[in-house]
Amino acid sequence: MKRVWLGVCMTAAVAVLGGCRDESHSGGAFPRNQTLYVGGYQFHEPVTFNPLASAPDWPVQPHNSVNLMYEPLFVFNTLTGKMEPQLGKSFEVGDGFIDVTVQARARFSDGEPVTALDVKYTFDLGNEHKSLPVATLWRFLESIEIIDPKASPFPRQLRFHLKSERKNPLIVLDYLQEIPIVPEHVFAQLFAERGNDAVKVQKLMLDRNPVSTGPYGLVSFSAEKVVTERRDDYWGNQVFFGSKRAGPRYVIHPIYKSNDHYSVALQQGRLDASAAFVPRIWLKRRKGVRAWYEDVPFFPPGAMPLLFINVKRSPLDDVHLRRAMAFSIRYDDIRELAVSGYSRPLESGLILPFGFEGKYFSLADAKQYGASRFDPARARAELEAGGYQPSFDSEGELIETRDRSGRRLPTLSISSPAGWTDWESIVRIAVRSMRSVGIDVRERFIESSQHRPAAYAGDFDLIMFTPSPPPTPSKPWSRFDTVLSTLDFRALGEKMFKNMGRFNDPTAPGYVRRFDELLALIPTLDSEAERVRAYRELNVLFMKYQPALPVVYRPDQFYEFTEKAWTGFPTSERPFLPPQVPGARMGTRSLWQLSPTPAAQAD
Amino acid sequence: MQSFLENHPRLRHSLGRALWYLLTFVVAVAVNFFLPRLGDHSPVDTLIARAGESLDTRTAREQEEAYLKEFGLVEVDRAGKLVRAADGKPVETSLASQFARYLSLSLRGDLGTSILQYPKSVNEIIRAALPWTIALQLPAIVLGWLCGNLLGALAAYRRGFFDKGLYPLALLLSAIPAFCVGILLVFVFSIELEWFPAVGGYDDSRIVEFSWDFVSSAAHYYVLPFLSIFGITLGHQAIGMRSMCIYELGTDYIKYSKLLGIQESKILLYMFRNAMLPQLTGLALALGAMVGGALITEMIFSYPGLGMTILTAIQGNDYPLITGATLLITVTVLFANFTVDLLIGFLDPRVAHAERTKR
Amino acid sequence: MFASLFKSASFVTGLVLFGLTVLTAVVAPWVLHVDVGQRVGLAYMPPSAEHWLGTDHLGLDLVSLHIVGLRASLYVGLVSGVVATLVGTLIGVYSGYKGGFIDDLLNSLTNLFLVIPSLVVLILLSSSFEQGRSLTLIALIIGGTTWTWTARAVRAQASSLRGRDHVALARINGYGTFGILALHILPYLLSYLFMVFVLQTATGILTEASLSMLGLGPHDSVSLGRILDEAVKNEALVDGAWWAFLPATVLITVIAFSLYVINTAMEGVFNPRLRR
Repeated sequence: MKRVWLGVCMTAAVAVLGGCRDESHSGGAFPRNQTLYVGGYQFHEPVTFNPLASAPDWPVQPHNSVNLMYEPLFVFNTLTGKMEPQLGKSFEVGDGFIDVTVQARARFSDGEPVTALDVKYTFDLGNEHKSLPVATLWRFLESIEIIDPKASPFPRQLRFHLKSERKNPLIVLDYLQEIPIVPEHVFAQLFAERGNDAVKVQKLMLDRNPVSTGPYGLVSFSAEKVVTERRDDYWGNQVFFGSKRAGPRYVIHPIYKSNDHYSVALQQGRLDASAAFVPRIWLKRRKGVRAWYEDVPFFPPGAMPLLFINVKRSPLDDVHLRRAMAFSIRYDDIRELAVSGYSRPLESGLILPFGFEGKYFSLADAKQYGASRFDPARARAELEAGGYQPSFDSEGELIETRDRSGRRLPTLSISSPAGWTDWESIVRIAVRSMRSVGIDVRERFIESSQHRPAAYAGDFDLIMFTPSPPPTPSKPWSRFDTVLSTLDFRALGEKMFKNMGRFNDPTAPGYVRRFDELLALIPTLDSEAERVRAYRELNVLFMKYQPALPVVYRPDQFYEFTEKAWTGFPTSERPFLPPQVPGARMGTRSLWQLSPTPAAQAD
Repeated sequence: MQSFLENHPRLRHSLGRALWYLLTFVVAVAVNFFLPRLGDHSPVDTLIARAGESLDTRTAREQEEAYLKEFGLVEVDRAGKLVRAADGKPVETSLASQFARYLSLSLRGDLGTSILQYPKSVNEIIRAALPWTIALQLPAIVLGWLCGNLLGALAAYRRGFFDKGLYPLALLLSAIPAFCVGILLVFVFSIELEWFPAVGGYDDSRIVEFSWDFVSSAAHYYVLPFLSIFGITLGHQAIGMRSMCIYELGTDYIKYSKLLGIQESKILLYMFRNAMLPQLTGLALALGAMVGGALITEMIFSYPGLGMTILTAIQGNDYPLITGATLLITVTVLFANFTVDLLIGFLDPRVAHAERTKR
Repeated sequence: MFASLFKSASFVTGLVLFGLTVLTAVVAPWVLHVDVGQRVGLAYMPPSAEHWLGTDHLGLDLVSLHIVGLRASLYVGLVSGVVATLVGTLIGVYSGYKGGFIDDLLNSLTNLFLVIPSLVVLILLSSSFEQGRSLTLIALIIGGTTWTWTARAVRAQASSLRGRDHVALARINGYGTFGILALHILPYLLSYLFMVFVLQTATGILTEASLSMLGLGPHDSVSLGRILDEAVKNEALVDGAWWAFLPATVLITVIAFSLYVINTAMEGVFNPRLRR
């Protein structure tokens, strides 16, 4: 009995003291002063690192523009709005084509050069195999031609021919900065071995010795973390960084289940940079957590979550009701409470009134035509104009609303995925706001896995959605496109991936052709003045019809870091790079600027 | 055969129980198969939705059909092409034939491929997650059980101050919701005092191996999760054991033993042994329920165990993973219950006597 | 027999505690101004004179939230307690009295319910209903899946009652099964059933809290579990806002504790061996 107690006490002692040295992971296989910990991209055990899969895991996430392993042709600089060279050295948009020149010194990790053949092969895969992510590009692409195929030592120039009936260089540019370039000499064999079946190739995990171009390679992974190690022979060292190599030898992404775990790890110095949402970041300042700005809004806003309105469901087809909804919402509350103030005041329309989109925004138009500001008097006026009669009880709570003919309006629902706290807050505030002016709505929280399917099928009255969030060369056009596009129009119940509110049905009376004309026109314009004019017209049309309700601006990516172990992160005061976590977009370049702190060295 | 069984009532009893458990098992397997599939939300929808807005409707439909074919949810002809109905939509496989396919594969040990973590197999996922779940709970449950029973027995025997103080405390401890204990522990010991880490199974800078580094790191990370499970188990067990022991202490044979002047330690031993039986069954049941338990603890501490896996699977309606995990839970829980039933039958003479006099 | 309960100090304590919480839940909306929709201040403001428990992450008054949550949680606890006790008792008493084949069959049924994951049932049913997860639905599902323990316990009791003289007498006199159950078994179990009900209610409240923490809480109402869930998700404790987390924890603990105390006291009174 005594021995049992002794054993228990000893085990306890080990447990308590065993980690005592461990202030911020000292020792171990990954020394702290050589390891950078990033978080916020991966919440579940990695399944695949295959760049051709539809949803690969960190660090192969094209949809998050993670470029540690595989790289795209260009990188979009969100501060300047320009495409910077990566594997592609330069590009030029012509009439019906885009020319791209590949870097002369780009190399794969096995030493082979990156040539125009690899680029053509990567994109051509989408033409042949419809299950690949790059396949959707071919709705706009006619063919890819290698210019000067006999160039020595290898061809470096390509021409992307656009489809004449759907000329859209903007979308092609989007893909040029997203699709990772894969080695033709490796993947051609993978396809050949599998009977040219793309589905089979997509199933490969590709975790062992993958051939890639990026500065880091995959070392190991588990359900708890993914480990990458620096490649000292990375081609970009010479081309971009004057033969310097990246600071951290290891970049590790620990896998936690929820945002608050990443937040705590950041505050405890166990994480260096994170893209996960951290509420009330100003309270974390004393723990060393920093963001892009030192003050509100802390992060540059880049995305516009909004409420799609299902105009196929009466009475949502009435523009008066929609505008009344827009006028009723307490946008300040949403901004302060739902996104912790990480936002700028909302303006009407679908164009962000700042950043690289700012030049297309007109404040005068917004004031004149817009409804996205809190004005309950005008909300009630719109309701009256539509003939709606709300009735309230003695405590001011809404009982019901009747329409012009005396019929009682059904209670409308605002759908949102359950568990997304900031969206839940937005919806609750919106419901409260709308009810107070007399619009009968309530919250409807659905399983998060059902959110997108419900949106695509049109199974909603209003639904929260962020149209086309990432900052890309095609903004703001792609935001308009996602909200208003009538191509591929589908009835309710079938899947429609854009314009889920089924606005502006071409087969129905009341079709406004000008929307589609402008959407088709804008990508083809090459003069800035013409573009400004066209966007302005489109935005005014949007505001007049109000088919969707923008509710807030939010950061397209959260950029938090702490300098307990590594210093050199860009901020608004030292904006040598845009605000992105190392590993994504231009954030990867900050790795060459980071150096370990003395505290980390001491471990 | 008949007479053999008649002469061995215990064996017959056991066989009878075994048959019933088998029946329950079969029904449970069927229920666990059909239940998730009765919902009208398809996990393939989630997979397609993941691909995002870049899909156009035709490509989306092609991808969807490819997935449906892959998961055996639609009929295919000999050439491997989808069988289509008059309206062009693929014909869905009936639930019955899906079930048949599932049975034949499971009997061979193949629990299928996860839909949401495609292309990982269910076996892989469970195999990776299970050790964490067990490692998290086993020591805490066993130790909590041991210490709880000891304390409970002590309280029952001594009564007086020890009992009056300890008993309400144990009640209080078991009244606190499990996750609150965990979160409060994290708040106090990790965030405020910074003695222990808040998240994870082991330090990020370590790798899983048999080294002092890893083991001490894992132990350090284990303290708080351990305490949260240990505390609750302790409370429950102490309460139960105390009641049992008090009951035993009031029985005739104990009183008689005391009168006879039998040594105190021997009396205690009798008391302990008899009170232990229901507690043992409780332990067996708790161990059997381990696989599906500690979901919240795993969530709070971000332990990559089976609980979290099941939860995400259920939320995303990942049929194969749900069915596979629930199969495992069914097996362990039923097995634990069956063992307990048998043990009671063998160990508890009262039950055996009742069985014999039943005929 | 019930009267002697009140002589037990612990019973009275437990009853008073529980009664106080129920009283608060029932009376408070009349006395205080309960508003869970109106923003009254900034996020996570500390307790003050006007807002005794401060505000939550949306700037809503936490006192109001806790009162609504208390009502919701008590509702779920009581409804699930009733359901679980009813179902468990019916199955247990029938199974224990009849014995033999019926007993084995119902035992298997009980085991079956042990292995059916209630989470799957919850999500399945909640997505089939338009209102989604309502308090009632959650209460019914909790009740419908936690009765197994009651069934076992009641079965044991009924089984031992079976051998009693008055039961044998009733059987000789030609009473049917249900007659015997109703007149000769159940009345003797009343005190036991009451204890079972108390424990099932406690289980219901704690289970609701757990479900809410998993993100499976009610959509149509605040509950104590949801308050806790929101506090964790919004990192209340990390930022020092203990008032968003601790009061709800204390409330749930107090309710469960008082119910446990009541149960223990009853055990002490009804089971003479435990009385000292």
